[in-house]
Amino acid sequence: MVEPDRVAAFARAIGADPADGVPPTFAAVYAVEATGPQLFGDPEAEVDFARLLHADQEFEWERQPEPGETVTSQGRVASDISRRGMRFLTFEITTMAEDGSALCRSRTLFVIRS
Amino acid sequence: MKRIERAVTFTPDQIAAYADASGDHNPIHLDADFARSVGLPGIIAHGMLQMGILAGVAAEAAGGAHRLHRLYCRFAGMVEPGDTVTFAAEDAGPGKIALSAVNQRGEAVLTKASAEYRSS
Repeated sequence: MVEPDRVAAFARAIGADPADGVPPTFAAVYAVEATGPQLFGDPEAEVDFARLLHADQEFEWERQPEPGETVTSQGRVASDISRRGMRFLTFEITTMAEDGSALCRSRTLFVIRS
Repeated sequence: MKRIERAVTFTPDQIAAYADASGDHNPIHLDADFARSVGLPGIIAHGMLQMGILAGVAAEAAGGAHRLHRLYCRFAGMVEPGDTVTFAAEDAGPGKIALSAVNQRGEAVLTKASAEYRSS
């Protein structure tokens, strides 16, 4: 669920007005945080969080969720490449509304320093 | 579209508030000793905190967050407490916004930042 209290705290933390609805990058919570433990828990994706850097981020929204709305996110490891002692890990996450319509697509690149 | 600009001076309190609200409690954002132990200068702001502020500037330029269709940025530089970052949005053609985030030393902390929006 897109928790209204958490949305409001998130909005205040980024300097937005909670009255303006769900901030677009709250997708970091309902998409990335929601699927991260599973994606990072994947034995093939085992990482050292202290050496993890968020390298880039893309979101595409069909619409913003409403506070209190229930959404479902599915993530996958889109690529996992090691090069010159660095590991490049890409997660792709799709978030859907209860009726199955698409809300958000997220693409995250993490770089793990060795 | 007029240029929209917002200057933000980051504080440990704001970074901690973002950690709580986002659920990202990685100690590199909260514990200076830990951050230094992994080769950082001290605690650093979450990239997603910076992107959240950038999204606010992009939404204002687009005429509302409901119009934002796409947002991208690369996290290119570290932001430490005390740094002042100027986030800016300007017109880049129909439905497109060019975005930037530059610190007090003139260094881009977010790069290749852009947004797309719908007209309604």
